[in-house]
Amino acid sequence: MAQVGHIDDGSLSPRRLDPYALTWRLPIIAWQVLFFVGPLLFMVAMSFFLVKNYVMQETFVFDNWAKMFSRNYFRDSYVYTLFLATLSTFVVSVLAFPASFALAFKVSDSTWRWALFLLIIPFFTSYLVRIFSWYVILAESGVINAMLSIIGLGPYTMLNTMFGTIVGYMTLTLPLVVVLQTFSLANIDRNLVQAAHNLGCSPWRTVYTVIVPLAKTGLIVAALFCFILSFGDFVSPYYLGGSKPPTLPILIIDTTKSGQQWPRAAVVAVVMMATLITIAFAAITLAYRKRTSR
Amino acid sequence: MSTPLVSMEGVDKHFGTFVAVKNINLTIDEGEFIAIMGTSGCGKTTTLRMLAGLEQPTAGTIRIAGKLMNDVRPHQRDTPMVWQSLALFPFLNARENVEFGLKMRNQPADIRRKKAMEWLDRLGVVEFAERNIETLSGGQKQRVALARSLVTEPQLLLLDEPLSALDAHLVIRMQSVLTKLQRELGITFVYVTHSQSEAFAMADRVIIMSNGEIAQTGLPRDIYREPANRFVAEFVGRNNIITGEVAGVSGKKIEISSPIGRFKLNADATVPAVGDTVTFVIAADLVEVTRAKPKADNVVDCSLISEEFIGSMVTLFLETADGTEFKVQLQERELATLDHNSGSLFYLSWKAESAHLLPAETNK
Repeated sequence: MAQVGHIDDGSLSPRRLDPYALTWRLPIIAWQVLFFVGPLLFMVAMSFFLVKNYVMQETFVFDNWAKMFSRNYFRDSYVYTLFLATLSTFVVSVLAFPASFALAFKVSDSTWRWALFLLIIPFFTSYLVRIFSWYVILAESGVINAMLSIIGLGPYTMLNTMFGTIVGYMTLTLPLVVVLQTFSLANIDRNLVQAAHNLGCSPWRTVYTVIVPLAKTGLIVAALFCFILSFGDFVSPYYLGGSKPPTLPILIIDTTKSGQQWPRAAVVAVVMMATLITIAFAAITLAYRKRTSR
Repeated sequence: MSTPLVSMEGVDKHFGTFVAVKNINLTIDEGEFIAIMGTSGCGKTTTLRMLAGLEQPTAGTIRIAGKLMNDVRPHQRDTPMVWQSLALFPFLNARENVEFGLKMRNQPADIRRKKAMEWLDRLGVVEFAERNIETLSGGQKQRVALARSLVTEPQLLLLDEPLSALDAHLVIRMQSVLTKLQRELGITFVYVTHSQSEAFAMADRVIIMSNGEIAQTGLPRDIYREPANRFVAEFVGRNNIITGEVAGVSGKKIEISSPIGRFKLNADATVPAVGDTVTFVIAADLVEVTRAKPKADNVVDCSLISEEFIGSMVTLFLETADGTEFKVQLQERELATLDHNSGSLFYLSWKAESAHLLPAETNK
């Protein structure tokens, strides 16, 4: 390095190929290539295959792409899935924030440890089981409607609606989002919060002028997790949303079932992957964006 | 100036069972530069934070400009603080940081900008106005933090060890920036520090705290020359502390007998009675060192243990036959005149008026 006054001892340079480190990393690299990159590439390739008489042929044609993109149901499903995942991200982030805020700023350390434990417990049970338990609660003759009928309300239809789907997404993502948000809020330098108060910023105003900007990275990453999990989820929109209209994961299942159209399902999957990669990239860029100096 | 700007009466602060501050009685006038000094954990920062409303006193009253402040929330006060960590907002640039207080007071954008630029200019960092906080040096951040606190033109500025993270040469520079600002603006500064040199260099009045209590309040010179108790005598500078029994009294002149000799000194306020146990101090820089036994009243013979050389000044550490320690501070060129190669025996002497008698109740 020709830079004057800049000491480069190489210890921070990631460019050097260290055989020792490489040896230890090789298994995970091999695993990733074999079971993630490989199948992904195969999926992309498969989207150009053709199915004739229920048999897949290794070709390179754009028929599947042309078919899927000319179908309204694919476009509608895409828009609906994007909308649901966005709505879920927004609802979950907003609902989680007050809880995360309280856990990060208002409760004792031991309360937080208990809360963290309770937030992890839901993951002990299969997600599918948790979704079926909502059946009992949300059904026409379920717990909620039974309670409401006492005061003369209802019954309301909650299963097989968008509401049901969102409840399902929340079951999947809310505990995780609360944990991620709380970690990012707990890392905030308390002096900065007090400095804001000291400069005349009311506690309410401090939340959005100081705390949210300081926790920005963590809040966005939490929201990103929520989006990714909701966008790719099959269980909630199928069992609680009644797949009307179908989301993309349901569309993949339906497509593979009808006439062995794996290549067309691959098109849907590739589009989903591309969407998630784009959104994840944008979110992380936004999360780590520093103010630019002029 | 009938009512003082700040008055604290019987203020206590407990954290659970821990008593951080007890029975603070203090008044601060408008335009004063006050330094609160003490070791870490002495309650100085807690006292400052109570003035900012960041801690509520457990007992007692705090008034600012005559108004009872005990229950006034931090954001409803105008007591900006300069933090040890500076606490600049990393998501705002230098100018936006300075504008923050004005924005909270709902000032229009153009006025905010104008005032922020004026203060950045006044503190010599206007060229960094649009820069990211992380790209500024320690000294530049310090100036931005000062501008941020002063932009609302408060009556009272609280400073919590603001210079402790800076390099030594920058500390001296910032000290003169602070004193100059304080004099020009006429704002009351309350400056918390553990550094004696910072406190003595800048403050009009120094408050020494120990174990949550005020140990002494006074002008820097008075605290240095006339410590009110043993704690202050030991904490401030290099003092020699001798305890003995009063052997004779004539008017204000008293004679004390101690294991290391008989000493004469002048009592300034209350004169102790014969037989009382008293403690007095002699500042290290008021002690003479000679090779030959001087014909004077207060003489002690000592052997040299070690010396500490800090440029023009030298501190000698000596010990009497019974192990009592003495410290003597002198100019390096004075030391050169002493014959260094004739053993380690020295005679120490001081004038009766150089000794300062500690008040009786603190002679524990």
